[in-house]
Amino acid sequence: MSMPVDNIELLLPFKAEYVSIARLTVSGIASRMGFDIDTVEDIKVAVAEVCNRIVSIGSKLSKYYKINFAISEQSLKVLFTCEDKSIRCIFNNEDAELAVSIIKALMDDVEFCTDGSYILSMTKSIGENM
Amino acid sequence: MSGELNIKEENLGDSIEVYLDGEVDIYTSQRLKDKLYGIIEKNQLDLRINCRDLSYIDSTGLGIFVGALKKAKQNGKSIYISELKENIKKLFMITGLDKLFIIEE
Repeated sequence: MSMPVDNIELLLPFKAEYVSIARLTVSGIASRMGFDIDTVEDIKVAVAEVCNRIVSIGSKLSKYYKINFAISEQSLKVLFTCEDKSIRCIFNNEDAELAVSIIKALMDDVEFCTDGSYILSMTKSIGENM
Repeated sequence: MSGELNIKEENLGDSIEVYLDGEVDIYTSQRLKDKLYGIIEKNQLDLRINCRDLSYIDSTGLGIFVGALKKAKQNGKSIYISELKENIKKLFMITGLDKLFIIEE
């Protein structure tokens, strides 16, 4: 991935009612970047699936989780982080099967289990959809 | 703050039609679950879910549809899903749920 031109960060409480804020935010960013309407919808759905999972798991140590949107000319990379390091590999359960299929199908590149510094990263390239 | 979801039901005699209007997400899905499960338990009829005004659904909502279908099947009944928007139909195809439900145009 090329170096991000801009970064936008969103800090959200572990509450279901705020997942819609992530959806609205990423829709705005992806539209601004020039993704077509269908792709904006895809990215929105994928981001919300991760937020749902994080919120469902919850945290006793952290009040918030963070979403970083790294905007480059070629792609949008969405990185989920949380100070609570116990929140890692969040899609390992069988009941996450639907969410995993959706995320894999809608995004170009997804890192479900990372080296531990973040929860998950997903990337959508502009070139592959335009 | 979160998306709104309005649920209406109509008894068609041989089935119950449920109209979904708005967004089914992690915040609104519990209400959908209570409604669908309640209808299935109360009525021994097929369920028709009209999605004409459903603008968004996530895996939480799809999981509720699957749970509702299991309950309906226990009573020998089916679930019909109609008027899906393209973005939502795509999720049914990705997850293979288009083969599980009876999808109508």
